[in-house]
Amino acid sequence: MLKSKTFLKKTRAGGVMKIVREHYLRDDIGCGAPGCAACDGAHEGPVLEPQPVDPASSLCPQPHYLLPDTNVLLHQIDVLEDPAIRNVIVLQTVLQEVRNRSAPVYKRIRDVTNNQEKHFYTFTNEHHRETYVEQEQGENANDRNDRAIRVAAKWYNEHLKKMSAENHLQVIFITNDKKNKEKAIEEGIPAFTCEEYVKSLTANPELIDRLACLSEEGNEIESGRIIFSEHLPLSKLQQGIKSGTYLQGTFRASRENYLEATVWVHGDPEEDKEIILQGLKNLNRAVHEDIVAVELLPKNQWVAPSSVVLHDEGQNEDDVEKEEERERTLKTAINEKMLKPTGRVVGIIKRNWRPYCGMLSKSDIKESRRHLFTPADRRIPRIRIETRQASALEGRRIIVAIDGWPRNSRYPNGHFVKNLGDVGDKETETEVLLLEHDVPHQPFSQAVLSFLPKMPWSITEKDMKNREDLRHLCVCSVDPPGCTDIDDALHCRELENGNVEVGVHIADVSHFIRPGNALDQESARRGTTVYLCEKRIDMVPELLSSNLCSLRCNVDRLAFSCIWEMNHNAEILKVRFTKSAINSKASLTYAEAQMRIDSAAMNDDITTSLRGLNKLAKILKKRRIEKGALTLSSPEVRFHMDSETHDPIDLQTKELRETNSMVEEFMLLANISVAKKIHEEFSEHALLRKHPAPPPSNYEILVKAAKSKNLEIKTDTAKSLADSLDRADSRTFPYVNTLLRILATRCMMQAVYFCSGMDNDFHHYGLASPIYTHFTSPIRRYADIIVHRLLAVAIGADCTYPELTDKHKLADLCKNLNFRHKMAQYAQRASVAFHTQLFFKSKGIVSEEGYILFVRKNAIVVLIPKYGLEGTVFFEEKDKPKPRLIYDDEIPSLKIEDTVFHIFDKVKVKIMLDSSNLQHQKIRMSLVEPQIPGISISADNPNMDIDEPERKKKKREK
Amino acid sequence: MASVALSEAEKVYIVHGVQEDLRVDGRGCEDYRYVEVETDVVSNTSGSARVKLGHTDILVGVKAEMGTPKLEKPNEGYLEFFVDCSANATPEFEGRGGDDLGTEIANTLYRIFNNKSSVDLQSLCISPREHCWILYVDVLLLECGGNLFDTICIAVKAALFNTRIPRVRVLEDEEGSKDIELSDDPYDCIRLSVDNVPCIVTLCKIGYRHVVDATLQEEACSLASLLVSVTSTGVVTCMRKVGKGSLDPESIFEMMETGKRVGKVLHASLQSVLHKEESLGPKRQKVGFLG
Amino acid sequence: MAGLELLSDQGYRVDGRRAGELRKIQARMGVFAQADGSAYIEQGNTKALAVVYGPHEIRGSRARALPDRALVNCQYSSATFSTGERKRRPHGDRKSCEMGLQLRQTFEAAILTQLHPRSQIDIYVQVLQADGGTYAACVNAATLAVLDAGIPMRDFVCACSAGFVDNTALADLSHVEEAAGGPQLALALLPASGQIALLEMDARLHEDHLEQVLEAAARAARDVHTLLDRVVRQHVREASILLGD
Repeated sequence: MLKSKTFLKKTRAGGVMKIVREHYLRDDIGCGAPGCAACDGAHEGPVLEPQPVDPASSLCPQPHYLLPDTNVLLHQIDVLEDPAIRNVIVLQTVLQEVRNRSAPVYKRIRDVTNNQEKHFYTFTNEHHRETYVEQEQGENANDRNDRAIRVAAKWYNEHLKKMSAENHLQVIFITNDKKNKEKAIEEGIPAFTCEEYVKSLTANPELIDRLACLSEEGNEIESGRIIFSEHLPLSKLQQGIKSGTYLQGTFRASRENYLEATVWVHGDPEEDKEIILQGLKNLNRAVHEDIVAVELLPKNQWVAPSSVVLHDEGQNEDDVEKEEERERTLKTAINEKMLKPTGRVVGIIKRNWRPYCGMLSKSDIKESRRHLFTPADRRIPRIRIETRQASALEGRRIIVAIDGWPRNSRYPNGHFVKNLGDVGDKETETEVLLLEHDVPHQPFSQAVLSFLPKMPWSITEKDMKNREDLRHLCVCSVDPPGCTDIDDALHCRELENGNVEVGVHIADVSHFIRPGNALDQESARRGTTVYLCEKRIDMVPELLSSNLCSLRCNVDRLAFSCIWEMNHNAEILKVRFTKSAINSKASLTYAEAQMRIDSAAMNDDITTSLRGLNKLAKILKKRRIEKGALTLSSPEVRFHMDSETHDPIDLQTKELRETNSMVEEFMLLANISVAKKIHEEFSEHALLRKHPAPPPSNYEILVKAAKSKNLEIKTDTAKSLADSLDRADSRTFPYVNTLLRILATRCMMQAVYFCSGMDNDFHHYGLASPIYTHFTSPIRRYADIIVHRLLAVAIGADCTYPELTDKHKLADLCKNLNFRHKMAQYAQRASVAFHTQLFFKSKGIVSEEGYILFVRKNAIVVLIPKYGLEGTVFFEEKDKPKPRLIYDDEIPSLKIEDTVFHIFDKVKVKIMLDSSNLQHQKIRMSLVEPQIPGISISADNPNMDIDEPERKKKKREK
Repeated sequence: MASVALSEAEKVYIVHGVQEDLRVDGRGCEDYRYVEVETDVVSNTSGSARVKLGHTDILVGVKAEMGTPKLEKPNEGYLEFFVDCSANATPEFEGRGGDDLGTEIANTLYRIFNNKSSVDLQSLCISPREHCWILYVDVLLLECGGNLFDTICIAVKAALFNTRIPRVRVLEDEEGSKDIELSDDPYDCIRLSVDNVPCIVTLCKIGYRHVVDATLQEEACSLASLLVSVTSTGVVTCMRKVGKGSLDPESIFEMMETGKRVGKVLHASLQSVLHKEESLGPKRQKVGFLG
Repeated sequence: MAGLELLSDQGYRVDGRRAGELRKIQARMGVFAQADGSAYIEQGNTKALAVVYGPHEIRGSRARALPDRALVNCQYSSATFSTGERKRRPHGDRKSCEMGLQLRQTFEAAILTQLHPRSQIDIYVQVLQADGGTYAACVNAATLAVLDAGIPMRDFVCACSAGFVDNTALADLSHVEEAAGGPQLALALLPASGQIALLEMDARLHEDHLEQVLEAAARAARDVHTLLDRVVRQHVREASILLGD
């Protein structure tokens, strides 16, 4: 019954602990080739093809399988993912090394392995009796692994020969390590480098472009001059950091100046955290977001941050001298006080490279295959790539990955990954902004989809275990029009004892997404659904988001219910949570719900239920506001899309109805109730959401702004802020209140998820609640799924798992969720910005009235209420004489020539699309009124907005 | 059983036999029983050994841990001894019953081993005043059939011989801050030289003569015995009289001479057994408690 | 990268076993001559010795004697070098006391104590090397030792642990698997009747999965029984050959 034949031990001395682990070797592990008599029936998972036909290689014409080593997998994953590459054997040794070295690549390779089409087979060689190797004396771990891979490759070749000699099936070992390749060939294993092999695939020439170009260390020194000093090895760096010689920090390239960067030093909050780096040599090949080690330069070499805007426009390698000249121009600041700690990069602790979006700058030399690539993100240096399809890629958005940065090269080397499409194309630009904000948006992989329930789906007996049948209740949902992912529904009914029962029913997503599986991992990675102007990037596959988890009307759905018993004063008497099955009676829009409440003629169950809810919600809201909850506004813009072209034709700011706030009120209540419950049950590892109170200094601008309009804003508590905002009104200037609220929003801190065991400040400032979490939108937020799981465990409806009760894992998860939420927000804004551009592109030049939101040293920020658009009007331009500017920080105000600008002043600006830079189109605003000679421009265009409000009104009336 | 009850007649029988240089099990006065030694029996220790001498069964595990040197000896590592007289040997040892005996043996071991002449303690120092190796020598008494001290000493010596301490390097930068780096080659380790490690020979005074390696029964007939620790060259490093009886000075010198003689032989045979075992290499079939 | 992968996509555990497989078990009875019964067991890298003294008259206070059955006295102790990090005390700590109590409960259920009223049976177990599943190894060793001592028992007591990872029940957890922090279940089974002598579980596990984990542990315990049975038969055969001479 024990299948292990040999019994070996692996010893590993970690720290000073001697750890002994058993390692069983088996003889029942299959080779993965179908029809192999020797390991009959011992296959699991996707299998290799019996006769691999497709990749016609000129190097090895007979059918073969590929066996890549770790580095090939790590660096050439772009090639391996190509549909042309199939029948690959992934060794366990390789997979484990990849897992330890790069989590993203590991995930990608797992996805590939799960794809049946690709015929990737994972061979558990470390536990196979004939392919296990032990570390020998004097051999380091890497050498052992290389040997293990060669042994497995050799075993495969012999094994396949045994299986059928006439097939001439071969296993080809792919390695980029010269020595390893030589050794393999010596041992009789057919081996090629990745480059050799890919080049031999005559049928797929496009693959060559996707090869990562890795220059070998040896070649580096021979060719060309060395520009950069060497990076120190990690061990030296760590020592240096420990001793304080070097500082560790995150490298942040400047957006404005490619020769300048700052390093944000981790740790000590008291000390000056930023170090300036100036000049190519001091930047020493660090790329934005890398973790680097820097050495401080002596004080006499310190510099001040330069105010010069410099963009790298060089094309040629030989510009290094010019570069130096330019660097000299940076060092203009003489003022001693301006000098900041300056340093240079001595080594890289961790690269944080990712694939970058951008455009190709075609080389001037005809027929050249080397071209420079300009990333969309200005903080990323240009990248040199080799491609034969330069002409085809011109004017397209493409993705490029960095492979390395040799010491003798002005630019990093990279390879072409993907062509996204034409610049300005809506699809392409959406893709770009998703990529640039690191929003995972690939279609869900097979592995993920395999965990979806099988259709047709219905509630089974088993599902009803631990679940209450609430299908008889009159539940309905209220959402914006066109909403397909309905995650909440409500009900309200009178109880016999005169009290009211209110229920919030939330889609039971955690029923479908089980902890730890691929579906769960993918949702956790995505963290949130991202809503762009015309596109939704789902966190969970559509089957769940728009069907099984969406609480649509008249179908049975699983839900997680939070049910209160309240009196008519909306005081909670009892609360209980239960998993349930519901059948929503109606899916309403906010408008429909409002109409039902308002129309006296309707008195059906749904309507009375809605009225009850509305009544309670009003009491709840009032009470909440009394406690000091803030109601802040920021102009939210919605685009009217042309149904044919999907181009935006009009903008509309969102309007709010009573029903919006009714639903919101109960969601808040549910979230608070759940937060209390899970914190009670899991004091150490509840996932909560907090909103820290902003430091008083944040409010300065708000107070000053209000003062300039003779209004007083108190900011000592949330309550006084809310009250003073309510009072702040001006008869002559009704819009001032909205403006103040917009400003107040800007003063706020970010609300974040956190693990209760890792923090002790739980307060939610904005909602004035001592504890808060997210429970009500599990379809579109992963945090809610975790909260569902915690709550389910708390009420005994589901089981726990180790990660759920590990506060460090939970804290890591929170970090990712916070990051994803922030990125989703940025992506959303970028999407709005892009659509605004499209809108103005079609509209041409427009003049509009707006208000000054901020006053800067050389510019004013203007808000156009009509479009909810914010833009900056600059008063300094490159080729124009500088006007006389006087900036007063106290008021704040800006005096230009003879005109003074204050916050909230009304101005008129001209809005147009600036497409001078193809990659970075933007909206430009210039001043029309008040007129300042030489600065403002006359509104010479026929003003288009005269009839504008009319048209819009009509639309709304419809 | 740490002790055994004998009748008067049995005692007389044993004493008379010893007088004739003929012991109950047929040995002469200076003969040891058959000794079984096996090293590397507990794989998660740095070194281990199991020694069986008659019915006496000892398991020793050595664990190397990093620590700071003692203030008075900044250039040396040190050894810590712990003897667990487990209830396995006798129900009397249950709970805290074996603690007294354990402490007594441990103290004797400290006296014998924890000095420079026995073990090269300086080789255990990693960086003076900061890091050194501490060898925790844990003795587990599994069965007791007389002559505990000798057996334990053999087992400790064998375990120290078997001990492999991972090699560490102290990396030092210009400012003098130090970092310890562990070699990633599991074969890269330090061995201790056990050449100077002494062995205890216990001599039991029975009647007018003395015997080595007394069994439990013989120990019951003896009033006093002498522990002599002897190195492989025959140098006596330590001596202690144990037991409730008294000894005359003359017989002490006699016993010491016997101790030296027997000790040298014991060392030689132990050394050869240990080397022989090691020459079998790591692929040796381990016996442990299964054989 | 977070932690180890306890169960690979191919269905192998960290040490190469499949979910339901036991580690290699080797055992021997009659290790010591002086004790009434003794046995040694290796379950992978977990190694344990068990020694039985008795039945004998009550040691210490007579008041402890039970009029109708024998007193089962257990001590669990674990060598200071048995664990990865050195332990300071071999026994007397909370965990050892608890283990001793559990062993006592387990064997009171199995030994026919009513055959030896007013007497005492001592079971001492000693863990020499711990690599997960120490309770199970101790029970299995003690069973053999009790058999070696010739004390009548209802049945073998066979123990095994089980855990739960990725919706799969794993039998006979090693230390790495235990350290991962998932639910763990220890089960002592009387295989002939299928009765459970001891059941212990820590960490939350949903009711729905309990059956699966319990089943895995029980199956593994039955496999242990097959092996122990073989050891006992082998021992008896050897003993009879020796006696025959």
